[in-house]
Amino acid sequence: MMLGAALQFLQNTQNADGGWGAVPTRQSNTEATALALLALTSCREAKATHIERGLQWLTDLQNSDGSWPMRRSPSHGSWPTALATLALASFDGQRTRALTGARWLLGNRGRSLGWWATLAYRMVPQKMAIQLDPSLIGWPWTRHGFSWVEPTAYALIALKRLNADLGGAGDGQIREAEQLLYDRMCSGGGWNHGNSNAYGVAMPPYPETTALALIALQDRAADARNRASLQRLEEMMANGESGLSLSWTTLCLSFLGQDVALWQQRLARCYARSGFLQETRVVALALLALGERISPFRLGAR
Amino acid sequence: MKRRGFLLGAVAAPAVTMLGGGSATSRWERAAYRKCSESRVVVSRAESYDSPLIERIVEGVRLCGLTVAGRSVLLKPNLVEFDPQGVINTNPALVAAAIEAFKRLDARTVTVAEGPGHRRDNEYLLNASGLQTVLDQHRIRYVDLNNDDVSALSLPSRFTRLGRLHFPRTVLESDLVVSMPKLKTHHWAGVTLSMKNMFGVIPGSIYGWPKNVLHWAGIDESIVDINSALSMGRFAIVDGIVGMEGNGPIQGTPRHAGVLIFGEDPVAVDATAARLMRIDPAKVKHLRMAGAFLGNIEQHKIVQLGEPIESLAQDFQVISQFGHLKGAS
Repeated sequence: MMLGAALQFLQNTQNADGGWGAVPTRQSNTEATALALLALTSCREAKATHIERGLQWLTDLQNSDGSWPMRRSPSHGSWPTALATLALASFDGQRTRALTGARWLLGNRGRSLGWWATLAYRMVPQKMAIQLDPSLIGWPWTRHGFSWVEPTAYALIALKRLNADLGGAGDGQIREAEQLLYDRMCSGGGWNHGNSNAYGVAMPPYPETTALALIALQDRAADARNRASLQRLEEMMANGESGLSLSWTTLCLSFLGQDVALWQQRLARCYARSGFLQETRVVALALLALGERISPFRLGAR
Repeated sequence: MKRRGFLLGAVAAPAVTMLGGGSATSRWERAAYRKCSESRVVVSRAESYDSPLIERIVEGVRLCGLTVAGRSVLLKPNLVEFDPQGVINTNPALVAAAIEAFKRLDARTVTVAEGPGHRRDNEYLLNASGLQTVLDQHRIRYVDLNNDDVSALSLPSRFTRLGRLHFPRTVLESDLVVSMPKLKTHHWAGVTLSMKNMFGVIPGSIYGWPKNVLHWAGIDESIVDINSALSMGRFAIVDGIVGMEGNGPIQGTPRHAGVLIFGEDPVAVDATAARLMRIDPAKVKHLRMAGAFLGNIEQHKIVQLGEPIESLAQDFQVISQFGHLKGAS
């Protein structure tokens, strides 16, 4: 029942230009459109015309350097490039475009902290406000920005999906990004936005980012840090009831081979209660979590 | 470089404190100058969230001489993330009271809007914080500013090198933006009040979570540049009933202060709030910078209405890096 309602929501709220906004009536953006496209392609009942129009919007917005902006303006490449790359990789005829997106990701990682801060981390690490390894680089939200957990996880998933087609060009960056995620892991497991501590105080993880990071690291499921984070996720989700956290958790657990029928029921109940505040990305992720077809976020085992 | 700046350099990024060769007056355009000869600030006693908050707010608005009738009002609470043991966010009871107060004052529309700085899970944040219940009870529209449609604005002051920023259209199209911060100390800015609260209007979908671009550009400098760009009607209601001291804005300690602060001049409101925490506003970098052109921080230019500061002031603790903020102003 939820599947039909969520599918109808996505099809009814597609903008006239073919894309989707963050919520209905908002201008189309790359994150919402990429996730809506991925969701529609996972539903047998989705109408081809919605997919074609969405795909057209997404390909039109790609910059000549392979990147995507979040919106038409500002037009510079940004973090949703990873999601758009992943979406296009799901279409046989769009593989070339997807690979240009992946190459842009390889050339546009986060900034380093600079020599001054790096030196400080080396000389007096215990005095730094935030404990982290400054040598590790992942992906930022913004061009030339600092690396954070969520954009790094998206880029990791996209690159892991496409690295073979890139001839393994992403090997080193994938390894470094994995190390960065482990470095930013909260004490005891799990992830928040990317600061595991501040001024000596541990900061707690969030379920949605924990599940997403575990998805990006799903091919390292045997790692003790993954297992600790998975346990933390299940603890956090004991009472968690939001569409976003339930969707990512359901996807994460299904990739790890768990029976997610009960999670899917919780997701449907949550949708019935809140409609996920009509947020396109959450409805799309929920459709993916209901999983009629193999999810684009699923990676092969390593 | 001072020790604090050195340590912060890691993630908060080096602050751009000076623009090469520019004199102080070159840092803002003439149109950005909003200082008036004096600013009214109301300090109101409110022991708890069960106090008659609607009446307190209506009285605060009236004493400030603010016109509300016929205006579209945007209430911007502080909703960063949620901790069941903490007091991070503006209390929803105060937001509910503000909704009712502005309706009573014949606002054309009342909207609640925020762009949370850490969490992207709006459904969780709204429910856990209790704000969703308020929105439902009062049938009020909530806008996620992180994902709103945007327009680019040139910044009329140049304390950062950002030049321009994208702002949510819901904010730009409002007649009156009401900043509703929590009374808190902040481990990177000293204090977080009505001006720092406006970080929340910067859209995360463009600038990320946290809004780290602003940290790299300089936190204090960004606070000033953002506030200088918001030229619509402004008002502030500071939730100081229970504030936060120490390692704020997330992990600090709750501190009962039993106070609400109101005013149209955000600089004067924040200067008064700082004094209520026994922090010298002239030593808070962004207040000092804003005090040159955006509003008044000098006590003799602030018309203090309601309770005298001394009757409600408390010695809020700050982390050691901000020990220099304490002292008489």
